[in-house]
Amino acid sequence: MIGVAPPAYDPAASESVTTLPVGTPATVRAYVRLLFRRHRRAFVLLVTVNAIAVTASMVGPYLLGTVVEDLAAGVEDIPLERTVALFAVALLVQTVFIRMVRLRGAMLGEEMLADLREDFLVRSVGLPPGVLERAGTGDLLSRITTDIDRLANAMREAVPQLAIGVVWAALLLGALTVTAPPLALAVLIALPVLITGCRWYYRRAPAAYRSEAAGYAAVAGALAETVDAGRTVEAHRLGARRIGLSEQRIAEWTAWERYTLWLRTIIFPTLNLSNVLVLGSVLMLGGVFVLEGWISVGQLTTGALFSQMLFEPVSLILRWYDELQVAQVSLARLVGVREIEPDSGDGALSPDGRRMQADEVRFGYHEGADVLHGVTLDVPPGTRVALVGPSGAGKSTLGRLLAGIYGPREGEVTLGGAELSRMPAERVRRHVALVNQEHHVFVGSLRENLLLARTDADDSELRAALGAVGADDWADGLTDGLDTEVGSGGVAVTPAQAQQIALARLVLADPHTLVLDEATSLLDPRAARHLERSLAQVLEGRTVVAIAHRLHTAHDADVIAVVEQGTISELGSHDTLVAADGAYAALWRSWHG
Amino acid sequence: MHIRHLPYPDPGTPDVRSGHHFLLWLGRQQLGGQAKSLAWGTLHLLSVAALPLAVGLAVQAVVDRSGERLALAGALMALLGAGATVGDTMLHRTAITNWVTAAARVQQLLARRTASLGATLTQRVAAGEVVAVSTGDIEKVGWCVESASRFSAALLVSLSVCAGLIAYEPELGGLVAAGLLVLTLVILPMLPRATRRADLQREKAGRATELAADTVAGLRVLRGIGGEQLFLERYRKASQEVRGSAVRTARMWALIEAVQVALPGLLLIAVIWQGTRMTTDGRLAVGELVTVYGAVTFLLFPLRMFQEFAMAYSFSRPSATRAARVLALHHATEARTAAAPGTAAALRPEGDLYDPASGVLAAAGQLTAVVCGDADAAGVLADRLGGHALAPSPDGEEVLLGGVALDDAPLDVARTAVLVQDKDPVLLSGTLEELMDVPSSGEVAVRDALEAAQCGDVLAALAQGSPGTDADPLRVRITERGRSLSGGQRQRLALARSLVTDPAVLVLDEPTSAVDSHTESRIATALHRIRAGRTTVVLTSSPLVLDCADQVLLVQDGRVTASGPHRKLLHTDADYRAVVTRQTDEELTERTGSA
Repeated sequence: MIGVAPPAYDPAASESVTTLPVGTPATVRAYVRLLFRRHRRAFVLLVTVNAIAVTASMVGPYLLGTVVEDLAAGVEDIPLERTVALFAVALLVQTVFIRMVRLRGAMLGEEMLADLREDFLVRSVGLPPGVLERAGTGDLLSRITTDIDRLANAMREAVPQLAIGVVWAALLLGALTVTAPPLALAVLIALPVLITGCRWYYRRAPAAYRSEAAGYAAVAGALAETVDAGRTVEAHRLGARRIGLSEQRIAEWTAWERYTLWLRTIIFPTLNLSNVLVLGSVLMLGGVFVLEGWISVGQLTTGALFSQMLFEPVSLILRWYDELQVAQVSLARLVGVREIEPDSGDGALSPDGRRMQADEVRFGYHEGADVLHGVTLDVPPGTRVALVGPSGAGKSTLGRLLAGIYGPREGEVTLGGAELSRMPAERVRRHVALVNQEHHVFVGSLRENLLLARTDADDSELRAALGAVGADDWADGLTDGLDTEVGSGGVAVTPAQAQQIALARLVLADPHTLVLDEATSLLDPRAARHLERSLAQVLEGRTVVAIAHRLHTAHDADVIAVVEQGTISELGSHDTLVAADGAYAALWRSWHG
Repeated sequence: MHIRHLPYPDPGTPDVRSGHHFLLWLGRQQLGGQAKSLAWGTLHLLSVAALPLAVGLAVQAVVDRSGERLALAGALMALLGAGATVGDTMLHRTAITNWVTAAARVQQLLARRTASLGATLTQRVAAGEVVAVSTGDIEKVGWCVESASRFSAALLVSLSVCAGLIAYEPELGGLVAAGLLVLTLVILPMLPRATRRADLQREKAGRATELAADTVAGLRVLRGIGGEQLFLERYRKASQEVRGSAVRTARMWALIEAVQVALPGLLLIAVIWQGTRMTTDGRLAVGELVTVYGAVTFLLFPLRMFQEFAMAYSFSRPSATRAARVLALHHATEARTAAAPGTAAALRPEGDLYDPASGVLAAAGQLTAVVCGDADAAGVLADRLGGHALAPSPDGEEVLLGGVALDDAPLDVARTAVLVQDKDPVLLSGTLEELMDVPSSGEVAVRDALEAAQCGDVLAALAQGSPGTDADPLRVRITERGRSLSGGQRQRLALARSLVTDPAVLVLDEPTSAVDSHTESRIATALHRIRAGRTTVVLTSSPLVLDCADQVLLVQDGRVTASGPHRKLLHTDADYRAVVTRQTDEELTERTGSA
């Protein structure tokens, strides 16, 4: 059999877990229209300078045609000086405008690309916390890295180049028609070949290139994982398996390379053949026409040179059309974020007081599978509540409901009488903060890492916040102080220090109610102990709901709620629960000896 | 080599003395492919170069009013068209094959090197370099190696076209050759400036991507506490900087392109000027003038290939240097342990594990718990207990297993005997089934290990989270590093994996620090049961785990200071009590004072 079938395994299919919507064609079209409208002037300018440059580039062949005409006719005094002068002027115009075309094209492409990536981030940071919590950040992350990357080429090159190519080809065809109308017919001969080949190719190419790119990324991905897991790979003697996996990825990727190479094995000859067909038929038909006396030699020469020039814009269009098709999928993923309803909170809703109440709350992540089955909890201002219980009992879910991230399916969670889930996220966080295991230290200065909690804080306030969480000793020791770059690539921050930064942010944000979800669980026990002490100072006087997996945290709380299988099974102070001799008491005994 | 035969059974031993050596070595590995590419490239370019000849012949035939010669020109054109088409397609096929095979070879070499580096990769520089090579450098290296043959073809053909022109019409030919030389000399020095700007632009783009990715990664923090506008502004600034930098790069390219139009244009004007005068003098036929004009336009084509090769080489030199450096890396302990060969067979994994430096003794077949005052010290101790540690003990005392130094056994033998699960074990992506498929004794079933590590809720969550797999949680894919799982769930899966391995000696560093107390106490009991008769060391400070250990050791300032069962130590040793009940000294005095 001639040809290569597409490989059975498609790396693009399992590339990323899509947890967020992908834009519908309508959304994509609307966005593209918006983008074009925003940059209409730049487009018009690009097309105009391009038309001038192309027109100037046609002067050379035209002049050669007239010269050939005169020479063939045996004209004695050819106006050579005038011809050369005209050519020189045209060349000057062409040079100046080609430079402009290239520059304007790049500027337009870069502006659209910048718009696109900034728009995307604007949308992303406006996503409701509940959506983020459910979808995770992995899908967003792959969109802002992989998809933006793929679009970069399309925006930077494909859009301007396509605009250039289309104008160029149209002008050349027009010029050919004006020079010698019968010659334009010759172009038609090549058209069926070109169209048939292109249709075949474009039906297969975009998806194939996407798979190829995904396959290549998977090769790098497998290796990056081996690097990341170096210690684990050595300890578990997984070296041979990792090599095997890398080679499997290489085989999968190269299978797609082979397939796309086959696709190009069709399109390359198609393009070459149509080019030769155009040139050949212009020359042969034109030659016959000249012999018949329908057109002149000069017209033939100019026409032949024009048709030779057609090759470049046509291949330009074909090449970048490809890229644009690949980019379409990435674009759909980027604009998909626009389809998520933005946080539609009721701006008029405002809590009256600090009392937090959950009333007969039922909630589940999936239809018909509730995690919480009627939880009622009353937290008066300033109380410290500890939620304890086995993994998967629903402690974290309850915590997120109390922090207003999810709204209950049934029942309600209120703060000062106002329903939390109906308030906009920006308002909720002025009152309630959720602190979990995720202590992200942002790339940037230590100052930026703190300022996010209160953007108008001055340095002395930042220092005071660091002092309040016991981070002043190491923070003062940093060479550039608050300007020290931290986060990935900057000064390495230990998990304990990252935790302190997170707590310092809390001090700055100053919410009166906190939900702590195993905030210190990833720290080693000794560091956790110190942190909990600084935390205790920070939390003085506030309402705290702590999801605790260490019993001494529970011991210090005013009220302990034991969560089991989505309900609160025991509720009371430490002493009450120990006296009640239930599950909590048993655990406490084994902990404390 | 065909693409369909990839990957290579053996990617070979690279010459990593320098980047230049490495590029040469790669080129030598595909001499056949290079020769094919050179041959097809030459056919392609020669055919294209000869097209103006056919055009000139046709014009001349028409001028001479000869239908026969017009048909001949047509036949020549068909022949050249076929040559150009076949040549171009085959050139592309061979060139891409060269690129793919070179890239695949380097990826394979890299995979092999990485796998053997293991723990050495925790040193960040090494890790960063490996990733940089695999994500960006390989493409450039492959491009440079591949473009060598296309460059040679272009050089060959343009030289012969110039030679042909000179032979055919010395005056015009000389003019064209001189013009081309000037063009090359003007443009080549501009390329490094453009590529430097492009590098700067890439760097800025990388920075912007990093900022965006970082903002998204911390988005939950931002949405929870605020500061979105601050980060948006920051990103906007970075994004606009990328734009500015890209436009600066484009300015340079635009200039180069303008020069590429202007100089050949001047050459064309000169050709028309000179050619027309020669034609009126009768020294040149009309058709020949058209041919020369066409040939000059053609010569711009190989010129671009020169430029491409110059760029490919300048781009790939630093990449090749880095690739060579990475491929020359060695495991950190290789030099140290290669000195003492021959003791491989003597290792007796069923004996006691003893660390003379700290005095830690893990009796064979027992569950020993070690309480460390300092968490970092615990990590170093765990690392040392496995032998072949990155940081050797200060006074050179080696850890002994059954009386034999672990460092004297080959790395693989030592790792088979003792498995150290560090504080941050990585879950490799794949299904749960694949995750648990590790080299093992085969005596512990996956189900049992998962049960012992209390992974029931993880299985339930996995089964629930993916409707398509018919509720078999073992076949559900776990995302990279298990990011979709909570810290406690990841820890339990990692523990289950170590239990499946079932090594003679298992060292666990804080295996349950992120697990809630309820679950932790169940894990501790199950651990004791499933490891019965095997040697196990747990570094922990959790009373629930300590309570299940056969023997507990307290290590302070690097030495064992107390030992005995948990409950006894709790009542007799104040230091011990302070560490495990997590009371600070002040709290302790406070409490005893008030009591």
